[in-house]
Amino acid sequence: MLASLFMQKSLMTLLATACFAMAQTPGVFLQQCGFCHGRDAAGGEEGPDLTRSKLVAGDTGGDKIAPVIREGRPEKGMPRFSLSDADMAAVVAFIHDQKTKAEAQVGKRRGVEVADLQTGNVAAGRTYFNGAGKCASCHSPAGDMAGVATRFEGLKLEERMLYPRGAKAKVTVTLASGEKTTGELVYRDEFTIGLRDSARHYRSWPTSKVKFTIDAPAEAHADLLAKYTDDDIHNLMAYLQTLR
Amino acid sequence: MKRLLPFCLVSCVAVAQGVNPAILLNPPADSWPAYHGDYSGQRHSRLTQINPQNVGQLGLAWAFQSGQQQQIKASPLLVDGVLYITVTDNVWAVDARSGHQLWHYTYPPNKGFHIGSRGVSMYKDWLYFMTPDAHLICLNASDGTVRWNVVVADSAKGYWTTMSPLVVSNHVIVGVSGDFDNLTGFLKAVDPETGKTQWRWDSTPPAGTPDATTGGMTWMTGTYDPALNLIYWGTGNPTPVLNGKARPGDDLYSCSIVALNPDTGKLKWSFQPSPHDTHDWDAVETPVLVDGDFKGKPRKMLMQTSRNGYFFVLDRTTGESLLTTTFGPVNWSKGVDKKGQPIPNPDKEPAPDGRLIAPDEGGLTNYRSPSFDAKTGLFIVDAHPSYGIYFAKPAEGSFGWAGADYGVWGKAVLDAIDYQTGKIRWSHELGPNGAGAGVLTTESGLIFTGDAQGNVLALRTADGKTLWHAGAGSPMQSSPITYELDGRQYVVTSAGGVLFSWALPE
Repeated sequence: MLASLFMQKSLMTLLATACFAMAQTPGVFLQQCGFCHGRDAAGGEEGPDLTRSKLVAGDTGGDKIAPVIREGRPEKGMPRFSLSDADMAAVVAFIHDQKTKAEAQVGKRRGVEVADLQTGNVAAGRTYFNGAGKCASCHSPAGDMAGVATRFEGLKLEERMLYPRGAKAKVTVTLASGEKTTGELVYRDEFTIGLRDSARHYRSWPTSKVKFTIDAPAEAHADLLAKYTDDDIHNLMAYLQTLR
Repeated sequence: MKRLLPFCLVSCVAVAQGVNPAILLNPPADSWPAYHGDYSGQRHSRLTQINPQNVGQLGLAWAFQSGQQQQIKASPLLVDGVLYITVTDNVWAVDARSGHQLWHYTYPPNKGFHIGSRGVSMYKDWLYFMTPDAHLICLNASDGTVRWNVVVADSAKGYWTTMSPLVVSNHVIVGVSGDFDNLTGFLKAVDPETGKTQWRWDSTPPAGTPDATTGGMTWMTGTYDPALNLIYWGTGNPTPVLNGKARPGDDLYSCSIVALNPDTGKLKWSFQPSPHDTHDWDAVETPVLVDGDFKGKPRKMLMQTSRNGYFFVLDRTTGESLLTTTFGPVNWSKGVDKKGQPIPNPDKEPAPDGRLIAPDEGGLTNYRSPSFDAKTGLFIVDAHPSYGIYFAKPAEGSFGWAGADYGVWGKAVLDAIDYQTGKIRWSHELGPNGAGAGVLTTESGLIFTGDAQGNVLALRTADGKTLWHAGAGSPMQSSPITYELDGRQYVVTSAGGVLFSWALPE
């Protein structure tokens, strides 16, 4: 009876109820989310600080948060969760509550501020960009990197600089007939290769039946990880932050 | 009648006997009576029905749907034809021939961290199950009813439990988790009949001891050498986690491998994979026990692929180091000391402007089991070459996490390490990010594991070549087991909340 009543209520109504309940106990958040995102939602093992999340900042009543919880972020290791509407509302309310609390704290916050990432040297960073880092072989400060520091800042910028997750790769598949298909790489494991072709159609083949070549220029970022010193990273950050 | 009697005795004994010390010392082919399958932690089976020639015909025998959102992270037990499988707060008994459910036990709602359950353990006809709020529950294996429920640690202080206890003679040995607070890690031996504590061993000093560490949680099942009468256990990271300044020195016995007497809890020796850890690299990965030749001399060895990126071979009688080497990218140490322990580089401690560290916080491997194959001398491990950035600043204090870290990049490979040299004989790519699957080897020369996308794989142990695969829909977050019933060998793997049993066509 209780359950069916809950179903008919809107998430917003539930949110109001949940806000009150959440003030006493973190409940579902602690059980299901706390290990990765921290008991206070400010980051834990592997999960990011939700109180600083742009997605949370842009969320109204769970419209942004709930889909992420339901679908997960498999590429980042976050599983899907199927919460009841009531539990979902409680989790959303708790995260917003923690965000408000965290913002009221001054100077004691965990996590990375833009100000923390200002220890590098701009000139050394520019030299690295054009020299040892070979960044200039793909990127140009006047071209694709123009204004990059206005699009990303702080930790987000550094993370993208180190490895741009989700960067698109191209694949060319050669069938046994000799026919070639090129498209955006969508799926690859040991047994299957999948692409989206120029007509936006998904096509896949067993890897044992075709030949394929992958063009993934962003992988050059992964190759650099073994070469960076920490100073190189801080200097590059200093330089990128001048590209406004 | 005289002729029938011995047969009856044998078959009657074999039908329902639960788990006794003899079974744990020498598990029969029709059993998987403990987390690792046996005391050695090798996760290697003598079964040979499924072999490199016929594994291509492997098919689904049955699937068991837990119906839960939580992923299975447990190793099932198999005793007397019944599988026992868990997710947090839930235990099921399942017919190992058909996959149908016999009973389902649900622990009442509680506020502990619901991050996983690694499975139950068994003594006689009793199951031992640990809960998110750090209780140990004794269940009747025949119907899942509760015999007793004891508190192992105070969950209000920040402890939780996930592990499958280690049963050694009449001790149920339990460990704890809890590195979000500054808490002392410990092991406890519990009386299997009464639930009373027999002994307790603390891995770190009491919270509040000046300049001393806390932490050293004991959240994975150890191994046991009956001849030496020693249990071997890995301990977790120190706390505060990322801020090492509050706990100068090595921070014993955090990030350590310890050898304890199972009857008294007394420490025999210790070895520390990560002295003064500041990267959350628990050294809890299975301490695998191997008897064999090491550089021309017979040795009783202990091997560990540690989360910090090092592979260690120790003499398990004394704790003396035989080999220390890395098995993937590692950039946080200044080398290895005389004892074979890595020397942490202070420049790679988390800092306000960040430090790039290999491996990342998840480590070069994690809790799912590796496997040892004696025939090839290969130690097979699910590895995660990776980089992360680590931050810590004074404002973040000296309690709990005390910093922040972010994974940058990683991939999954299965590495076959030659234990005598530490050299990687072959590597098998498993996909982006991490796979996280455990590894099982069999005497017929097969490896069972999983990739990052959710394929179950059978590989040839000698060279890592793929011989069979099946898409299971979600990556394996547990370690495979195998057993033989009625002359048929089954391999059991999990994906998401589903248990799959694989066998050859009948």
